[in-house]
Amino acid sequence: MHVRVRGLREWALLLLGAGAGCGRAAPTGLIEVTFPGSVVGAEGTVLRRQLGRFMASHPGIRVVQRETPDAADQRHQLYVQWLNAGASDPDILQLDVVWTPEFAAAGWILPLDRFSPDTAAFFPATLAANRWRDSLFALPWFVDVGMLYWRTDLAAAPPATFDQLDSIAQRARAERGLPYGLVWQGARYEGLVTTFLEYLGGYGGRILDGNRVVVGSGAGLAALTKMEDELYRLGIVPPAALTWHEEETRFAFQNGQAAFMRNWPYAYGLMQDSSSSAVAGRFAVAPMPATADGAPTAALGGSQLAVNRNSEHPEAAWAVIDFLTEPEQMRERAGVVGQFPTRVALYDDPGLAASLGIPPAEARRVIERAVPRPVTPVYTQLSEILQIHLHRALTRQEEPADALAAAQGEMQRLLDRAGLGAGASGATR
Amino acid sequence: MNSRSRWPVVVVGLLVGASAFPFYWAIVSSFTPEARLFQAPSLVPTNLVLDHYRALFTERNFWVPIRNSLVVAGATTAFCVTIGALCAYALARLQFRGKSMLLGFILAVSMFPQISVVPPLYLVLRSLHLINTYPGLVLPYLTFAMPLTVWLLVGFFRQLPPELEEAAMVDGASRLRAFREIIVPLALPGLATTAILTFVYSWNEFLFALSFTLGPERQTVPVAIALFRGQYQVPWGQILAAALVATAPVALLVLAFQRRIVQGLTAGAVKG
Amino acid sequence: MRPAEPAAGLEREEARVAWRLVLPALGTIVLVALFPLMWTLWESVHLHDLRMPWLGRPFVGVDNYLEALRDPRFWSALAHTLLFTVTSVGLELGLGLGLALAMNRGFRGRGVVRAAVLIPWAIPTVVSALLWRFMFDGQTGIANAVLVNLGVLRAPHVWFIHAWSAWVPVILADVWKTTPFVALLLLAGLQNIDPSLYEAARIDGAGAWRQFRYVTLPLLAPAILVALIFRTLDAFRVFDLIYVLTGGGPGTSTEPLALYTFNALLQNLRFGYGSALSVIVFGITFALALLYIRLLGADLVGGKR
Repeated sequence: MHVRVRGLREWALLLLGAGAGCGRAAPTGLIEVTFPGSVVGAEGTVLRRQLGRFMASHPGIRVVQRETPDAADQRHQLYVQWLNAGASDPDILQLDVVWTPEFAAAGWILPLDRFSPDTAAFFPATLAANRWRDSLFALPWFVDVGMLYWRTDLAAAPPATFDQLDSIAQRARAERGLPYGLVWQGARYEGLVTTFLEYLGGYGGRILDGNRVVVGSGAGLAALTKMEDELYRLGIVPPAALTWHEEETRFAFQNGQAAFMRNWPYAYGLMQDSSSSAVAGRFAVAPMPATADGAPTAALGGSQLAVNRNSEHPEAAWAVIDFLTEPEQMRERAGVVGQFPTRVALYDDPGLAASLGIPPAEARRVIERAVPRPVTPVYTQLSEILQIHLHRALTRQEEPADALAAAQGEMQRLLDRAGLGAGASGATR
Repeated sequence: MNSRSRWPVVVVGLLVGASAFPFYWAIVSSFTPEARLFQAPSLVPTNLVLDHYRALFTERNFWVPIRNSLVVAGATTAFCVTIGALCAYALARLQFRGKSMLLGFILAVSMFPQISVVPPLYLVLRSLHLINTYPGLVLPYLTFAMPLTVWLLVGFFRQLPPELEEAAMVDGASRLRAFREIIVPLALPGLATTAILTFVYSWNEFLFALSFTLGPERQTVPVAIALFRGQYQVPWGQILAAALVATAPVALLVLAFQRRIVQGLTAGAVKG
Repeated sequence: MRPAEPAAGLEREEARVAWRLVLPALGTIVLVALFPLMWTLWESVHLHDLRMPWLGRPFVGVDNYLEALRDPRFWSALAHTLLFTVTSVGLELGLGLGLALAMNRGFRGRGVVRAAVLIPWAIPTVVSALLWRFMFDGQTGIANAVLVNLGVLRAPHVWFIHAWSAWVPVILADVWKTTPFVALLLLAGLQNIDPSLYEAARIDGAGAWRQFRYVTLPLLAPAILVALIFRTLDAFRVFDLIYVLTGGGPGTSTEPLALYTFNALLQNLRFGYGSALSVIVFGITFALALLYIRLLGADLVGGKR
């Protein structure tokens, strides 16, 4: 199977290379559909396997994999370039959760309602993030939620409040000599916003209320002040975390240097490998803590599959998407790569526990409570404004109150200027 | 110039040493197991493994990007130096109107931020069906490396004595022949230098290579290395190993060209 | 034997030959680069936001430019770019000149040294940026280890969260990487200087410094000009290096113009505004190049034989 797929791929790629703009029905009447994605590692392997099964059951369709960067920024750049030029391939697009409204508004992806997807089976929050102007534009493939990783040898139970977390972390540092109490992603990028979102929800705040920006509310200030406290006054988060992305925090926790880590599910499987991980078997995951005013919050992430509006074979593309989002495929991905499925019913299956790291029932609760980021085409720009001010506050270039006020003002002005300040359906919260 | 002092050796030594340290560090890191990379550093490594290098050639088939880079950089250099030499010769040693404007225009082309040129250039290449092909990379590279080539060669050609080709032309040779048989041999050091600079310039280029190629069979080394990254994971060890492996062909080529420069100098004293 | 021809005919003949020699280079450039340049100029005078196609693409004249001029982030980016350009190009020129002068003397293994010196430049920018970020990492970086051991620092310093110290690895990385380019360029220029001129100067009683100032520098001026122009051009458009090293942070304290342009163009999909920023970068670089030429290269192409 491996050899056969490889041969097909080489040939198909040659065809691609020969003429990008030619019609692509191969001479034998085969429909060719391009799927961009990672070809490396476990993910690449399971994807190839699943696509192979799809082609076996759909003999008239050939799926060609195109290697695209996994780094979100680079993938986004390439997509923009291709779609702006009206390219008909790739037929399927793998979107980050915040790109759907942007691509939908730009008119680059097809509404999927005409294919009658089985929407009742997916988590409502994941679908809401993919709706724009009341149409569904992408199907959630797998979901990411921010969670708290905690050391089972340092605490009896995961902390339910931030204050509890702080005290456990401080004790771990004092008594066990751990360099860090807590690590989260604090570099100036989207990860910072997801981390902040979880603190914000824990204090009962939110970014958007309808179409008003309310990030500068009391809850927002409390959340940001807490983050700053943890950095400087309590000293449990290292200032270096302000340059860290997901991997740096994972290594810190994996090398046994931190008592707590906020990260996505991907880290779980990697850290269970005792050959490279110093904490294998000594950690667990739990929802993020909260306060009495809020609720444990997880930022909603993940990957969605959409159809290129200029695709020459939208039905075939949809067939691939439909196949990949079937329960069996999702279960396989969870088992191999540890990615959380987006179908609710799968969480009734206790067999999922081994793959997910937390009991399926608990995972389901976390996902159901997950908070999507504002669903608007200008989200990237909104996020950027917030990132800049958050980072300035955390690096002490600005006072938290000023930073949030400035962020709120700029974000509101952006929404208003874009004509999205009022009547923009799709902004769910 | 007889040196009474040792300062040039000291200076070179210091600079080469400072320049080599990060390189040494890269080499050490490329032999360090992944997990240890994020722990406290030690100047002298204790635990060395070949994992990253093995992965490069078994999992990632790294020969292909190296081949692509060599082809693209080589073709760019060959075209740039030949076409650019003709152009530079005309600008340096012939009289005609509009020379300064021409030189200025050639330079102006490369003054836009690369990133802003990518979307329209993609449209152009796509309409010419050149996406994911060698010409599709060489053409944009030519455009943006040519200013360097032309400007450098104008300088080199102007330094040759002005009446050099007159003698040959009086004897009936065409200007082109005079150029080929008289000017070029004397300007060989300059041509070699220009070739090296252009080659490494193209070798290094990332943005165009990322934007105008679609798959591993045409991607160059910088792009291949960038694609090592997963969504969150950055395999530092492999990346460093790949970069080091990729500099080997460049270093060898440069070494070969260097000899040409030295030969060219000692072979014919340039001026009287 | 060529028959005698009137001077004007000779001139025309020469011009014809010249244009034929120039045409391949010019043709390639025009074919590939003209459309992108025109496109950028065209987009810069329109409002074009890909995220909101319902706004259309109306002609807005200089509105995008005015927005840039009124944008504090634009001015910061400009300041950062100038800081980076002046510092790194200055350092590169100085170090490159020193290196070139030292390598100009004959010594055994000169070729190998030259090849070795070129290696930093041959490493892809993205990789060398990662390498330097690695080395300056707050906890695991070798820079902190060395500085603390030498007693220069009391404790490991987190370089990338302070606006001023984040520049240090950025500039070091750029200087490390591109000094070889400048050195090689200047070396080639040095080797074109007739040694007999130094002889004559020495016979006249000039010491090393005077020889340098009155023989070397003036004759090296064309090479310095080319090095300055191209390094300034590249430094002004710096993108990859800073994107990987600091991402423009902390906050936006190390964000250069090209990164801001990338952000506007390909992240926020504001093609009109992003194009205007590109044209501004072009304008400033053009002005700088003109300035250099006026100062250093008056007879670059020679108005007369």
